Amino acid sequence: MKNKPNQITIIYMLIALFTAIVFHKISLQQSSITNYPLYSFLKDVALVLFTGIVYRFILSKNENQNKAVLEKLLKTNNEIKESNEKYDIVAKATSDTIWDWKIQEDKLYWNKGIKGIFGYNEEEVGDSSKWWFDNIHPEDSIKMSIKLYSFIEQKTENWQDEYRFKCADNSYKYVLDRGFLLKDEDGKAIRMIGAIQDITKQKEEELRLKLLETVIVQTKDSIIITEADFNENRLPKIVYVNPAFSVMTGYESYEIIGKSPDILKGPNSDINGVKKIVDAIKNKEESLIEMISYKKNKEEFWLRFSMIPIYNSDNELSHWVSIQRDVSDEKKQEKEKEQLIRELTKNNKDLKEFSYITSHNLRAPISNLTGLLNLIEDITIEDPELKEILFGFNKSTHLLNDTVNDLTKVMIIKDNPSIQKEALLLKEVFENVFSQLSFQIEAYKPILKIDFENVTVLNVNKTYIESILLNLLTNSIKYRSESRTLKITVTASQLNDSITLVFKDNGIGIDLERNRDKVFGLYQRFHDYPDSKGLGLYLVKSQVEAMGGNISIDSEVNKGTTFTLIFKNK
Amino acid sequence: MLDLILCVDDDPITLMLCKKVIGKTLFSNEIITAQNGEKALNYFDAIKNSDIDKSDNKLPQLIFLDLNMPVMGGWEFLERFSSSEYSDFSEIKVVILSSTIDPEDLEKAKKYPMVIDFLSKPITLSMLDYLTVKMQPKVV
Repeated sequence: MKNKPNQITIIYMLIALFTAIVFHKISLQQSSITNYPLYSFLKDVALVLFTGIVYRFILSKNENQNKAVLEKLLKTNNEIKESNEKYDIVAKATSDTIWDWKIQEDKLYWNKGIKGIFGYNEEEVGDSSKWWFDNIHPEDSIKMSIKLYSFIEQKTENWQDEYRFKCADNSYKYVLDRGFLLKDEDGKAIRMIGAIQDITKQKEEELRLKLLETVIVQTKDSIIITEADFNENRLPKIVYVNPAFSVMTGYESYEIIGKSPDILKGPNSDINGVKKIVDAIKNKEESLIEMISYKKNKEEFWLRFSMIPIYNSDNELSHWVSIQRDVSDEKKQEKEKEQLIRELTKNNKDLKEFSYITSHNLRAPISNLTGLLNLIEDITIEDPELKEILFGFNKSTHLLNDTVNDLTKVMIIKDNPSIQKEALLLKEVFENVFSQLSFQIEAYKPILKIDFENVTVLNVNKTYIESILLNLLTNSIKYRSESRTLKITVTASQLNDSITLVFKDNGIGIDLERNRDKVFGLYQRFHDYPDSKGLGLYLVKSQVEAMGGNISIDSEVNKGTTFTLIFKNK
Repeated sequence: MLDLILCVDDDPITLMLCKKVIGKTLFSNEIITAQNGEKALNYFDAIKNSDIDKSDNKLPQLIFLDLNMPVMGGWEFLERFSSSEYSDFSEIKVVILSSTIDPEDLEKAKKYPMVIDFLSKPITLSMLDYLTVKMQPKVV
């Protein structure tokens, strides 16, 4: 292009020279012509015209050529522009960061992604490979550079690597970097172009999944994953088993994947268990099953396993997950426990029968003794010694009778955990109890303070509540203080379904510091009184508890005792 | 006042006590005894099969019955005595007099309509008074 004007000028001069020579030759031949000045003028005009035409022809030809070149240039330019736009759009769409490295000059150019993804401003971005390498996580940089240089030196077609790249805020992003090498005619690498993809999310998810996977791999529970549907008429095919499964059953995963869990079944497997599995699969329902199963070596064991249906994102059943455990030991213990309970129940029943019979056999002669003593009462006895002997005989017999009766009562209460309850008027219950004690009340004239507030009805067993109140009242009278008038306060209050009865006296009290654990015990006596047997409070507690209530005590020596009884009015 | 009562018990002392206590009262004219359920049934069988006119035969109005007895206990006696075989004697009342404490026995006794009470040994004067009152309308 540069030489075109010279070229045109030379061509023009050659043609003009040639024409001038031709005209010169003609003028030599025509020298005889007289009108020479005219001729010379015509000759010059002809020369100018001819060379002008030729010149014009050359110029117009050149012009056309230029036009074509320009058009071509424009077209190429447009194509490049379009291509650049496309490239930008693609880079944007993939959110890749593109880099372009002129290896010899060590110039590295980054596209906009370096700002968008890693947060670097233009002035922060270095223009050599050093900046690139400096921002690679120290743990990754050696491995990465070895791979990269071996790629540049060897002549593999492409390269890709994963590493952590530092962002402007000093955090690291996981990236996938893929590069292509451009070579010159000698096959020498001169340029490398790469695209960096941010895979932090995938990587983190991968790490999270790896962590979750360790649960499945490390757990001592065996885990099976199967397909969703039956394998013809067998259970769904196994797609995964964890190591614990292999430990439990002896089947390695390669032996069992693709097979059905039917392989664990054996002659003693419960047919109902199998039915339960089939039903669960048919109904797509979670299930928990226990059945005898078989290891690879045919050894029997008790397998407890859950079946959990797994749905995919389209809400279609995709798999079953089964978590399993060898419960043979538990089963054995359960069996032993059942056996033990059976034996204990039988022993208990035998003992109960034994105690009823013993009690009956004791009571029969005692009742005879009592009856006989009743007869003696009507006979006048003169001999003072015989009288004394009979008196002792009488007293001992009655004591024996009372003891056997009390023990019998306890036995019946303990044996009858569910007793009949009825709604009783609190006022009537107390009237009844007081009338039974009228003799003692008359004798000791205690101050009775009774306040039932708005509680009127108590839902209890009549015999028990009377026995309880009778016991507590006689205790108050029996263990009254000699130095002050006996005062008994009974209050009742209700909170929701609970009725609280507080029974308070100002008697001699019990030393709870020493005796708290024993207060309600059997045959526990705290005062050396002749007619105390240590049974009353034991009986009271048994009866309160038999009715579903509870009783507590508060007492101070020489101040008095308070019993708090709580019943549920249901 | 009753004419005749029957005490069924294997314990001679209990029987002696019954006789003595009842003898002190106007509860009954006469007392007969049997050592167990079978002996008691034999007594009723004899009455049933005798050709003698029934008015000459003594028919007890009340039975005091023990439960634990050899050969035939109180329950078996009640079972047999309440069957159709002994329907002639359905008017006779029974009072169980026992030293049992098994609550199941109390429940069981309620199944027999002829059993009017379940009392604990020993037999006493006040018990007889109580029974007199209880039986008054039926006796008359």
